[in-house]
Amino acid sequence: MGKKITLEPVSRVEGHAKVTVNLNDAGQVDDAHLHIVEMRGFEKLLQGRPIEDAQRIVTAICGICPVSHHLASAKAADNTFGVEIPRPAALLRELMHMGQMIHSHTLHFFYLAAPDLIFTPDGDPKKRNVFGVIEANPELATQVVLNRKRGQEMIRAIGGRAAPVTAKPGGLTKGITEDQRQKMLKDAQDSIEFTKLGLEVAAPLFEQYMDVIKILGVVNTPMMGLVKDGNLEMYDGTLRMMDTDGSIIKEFDPTKYADYIQENYQDWSYLKFPYWKEKGWPDGIYRVAPLARINVCDKISTPLANDMLTDFRAAFGRMPQQTLLYHYARLIELMYASERAVELLNDPDITSTDVWAKPEPRAATGVGVLEAPRGTLIHEYSTNDEGFITKANLIVSTGHNQGAMDLGVREAAKLLIKDGEPQEGLLNRLEMVIRAYDPCFSCATHTIDGRWPVKLELVGPDGRTRTYTNY
Amino acid sequence: MGDKVKVQEDWLAVCSGCEIAVLDLHEAILDVLQAIEFVRIPVLMDIKDFDQHTTVGILTGGIRNEDNEHVAKKVRETSDVVVALGSCAAFGGIPGLNNINAMSDIKQAVKTSTSTAPDQEIPTSSELPKLFETLRPVSDVIKVDYFIPGCPPDAFLIAEVLTALLQGQEPQLSLKNVCEDCPRERKEKRISDIKRPIEANGEPNECLLNQGFMCMGPATRSGCGAQCPQVNAPCTGCYGATASSYEQGAAMLNVVASAYGLDDDGTVDLNEMTKDVYDPIGTFYRYTLPVSLIKAKITEKR
Repeated sequence: MGKKITLEPVSRVEGHAKVTVNLNDAGQVDDAHLHIVEMRGFEKLLQGRPIEDAQRIVTAICGICPVSHHLASAKAADNTFGVEIPRPAALLRELMHMGQMIHSHTLHFFYLAAPDLIFTPDGDPKKRNVFGVIEANPELATQVVLNRKRGQEMIRAIGGRAAPVTAKPGGLTKGITEDQRQKMLKDAQDSIEFTKLGLEVAAPLFEQYMDVIKILGVVNTPMMGLVKDGNLEMYDGTLRMMDTDGSIIKEFDPTKYADYIQENYQDWSYLKFPYWKEKGWPDGIYRVAPLARINVCDKISTPLANDMLTDFRAAFGRMPQQTLLYHYARLIELMYASERAVELLNDPDITSTDVWAKPEPRAATGVGVLEAPRGTLIHEYSTNDEGFITKANLIVSTGHNQGAMDLGVREAAKLLIKDGEPQEGLLNRLEMVIRAYDPCFSCATHTIDGRWPVKLELVGPDGRTRTYTNY
Repeated sequence: MGDKVKVQEDWLAVCSGCEIAVLDLHEAILDVLQAIEFVRIPVLMDIKDFDQHTTVGILTGGIRNEDNEHVAKKVRETSDVVVALGSCAAFGGIPGLNNINAMSDIKQAVKTSTSTAPDQEIPTSSELPKLFETLRPVSDVIKVDYFIPGCPPDAFLIAEVLTALLQGQEPQLSLKNVCEDCPRERKEKRISDIKRPIEANGEPNECLLNQGFMCMGPATRSGCGAQCPQVNAPCTGCYGATASSYEQGAAMLNVVASAYGLDDDGTVDLNEMTKDVYDPIGTFYRYTLPVSLIKAKITEKR
């Protein structure tokens, strides 16, 4: 009988995750799992509600990416009723989504991931957080706060609040004014400048940690994301599944997702595991989110982000699998979102008041898919003939990555635990693997602190318990 | 440093929107940090044990499992003043809307409604925590001194309440309802029929309820600045009941009945109204079902 190691993030909340590692008698890693403790029940909560209330309810699934749920829900409702929304409404929704990307990616990279790199993975845990950054570099911290604000203000201008309320079947409840357009345009331009600054801070850090990037949590999987004419895409387009060698497995209409993606439960997690149907479980495990999107696209339609992509591919190849590169990919996307926001704000239709087309309720099923900051987000609703929801299916972004995170944790544990003794810095490095995905377990345990408080209990065959904590 | 007021914050069953609302103070948060010292806040820094006593303890989210209850009790034990932040902590919030369903039904729906995972069994591993049958507000398990409603609460309302507490004053929530802060004009009290948002986009300057939309403004405490009606979206009642009413849903039902003319017009048929009011639970009790008079599960008769 070997040992069992439990790594438990102490944030004892609905949706929190923990890791267990089983060791054999020789002290080698037998097995390891990531447990996601989620049971939100939104599928049930939505039943019986009018479909236009879904957009107002699903924002409570996630306080960090409420825009993504709001818009995926609106797109699913449009699709259910077969309504074509006016072009200005589509532009405004996409712009709101860019605001979401700017806020969320700024938050994750600079509040959460960067402290690990700035203060080193073995740095003082008391300082290795956003407060440490504020103390060490107040100028950078102020810029970070302001850039997140730019994203949130964009959301507020179009969506009415940080958790938006304006999208509904057929479009939006309102448009924007010229004053609002000018304010957002300046913010989007400033966000481009901020991202350049951020890259200057981050690039040397990636250099410095190249040896860690190369080995930590690396898993080989296909990757999936939206593309539009081969370009990186966040709001619309087709889903592309790319194999580990860079070949395209399939490019398909996102509303047909159920033809290609299946889910199953594994006993150790409340969150379902999606997988590529054709390959079966577990061979069909794939990944989504920034690195996947950056990998599956041929190019990026905005110039500065495309330059970053070119540099990225020159350094890491066409289909890199290193999990920590999610951080780099996130910065490329921050640039894309900022540049795309400028493009949208310069579109003559953006201040049009033609933002809503009346849908006709019908009994049907519809699907809405977009790329949330944390990956492909799928909402599917079925309605009765008055447009009340009879059935809902949600695949949240973090779900797609669960299988790979589980694998990554297992690989990292095997790498780091020899002869039953965790190496120095094990805890934070295991955290870094999980954190790279910017996971949002039911969008609930998404910690913003730059580290996951972890408790490690080693229970010996003799029953003796040793406890390690990183806090 | 020594003069800073010690504060701890923890989250229960949440979406983290309340934590984002605190961050939405943006630059002002840097000033707030001059006055307070966080000694425990899992969302922003490393968790410490509950070994430091704090002046203020802030809790977000409702009580869904035993861990939530444990954390709430610990924060109560180690804080002079406990603030329930956000509608989940205060009333149960949107997840509380599931209280009309038995947990077994919720699990069944998760199991059967998904087109991509037919006939999958819900995991039963002992590594996974047990969920309570219903979701409850924080005040069900500990004494709460103040609550800040909202889904999410407005950042500046949070700042106002915290500032008052730091200055040793009693924080005051708005005594008004959302309508009193809403710029839309309510020309008449009567409505002839109820409209769903899917049927029309509201006229920009006229009261949404007046236009027939189920806008919860009259039965909802203000503090948000009527943000939703200002962008042509009906209020859904996220700040909960007004200071003068006990039950938000009943108060709104009253408003709708009056608007239908049931108070003074003998020709109005109550049955007509109940037929027109769609999804009363989801509309009138979206955020407050766990603190409402409706405690029992609803069984549909077929």
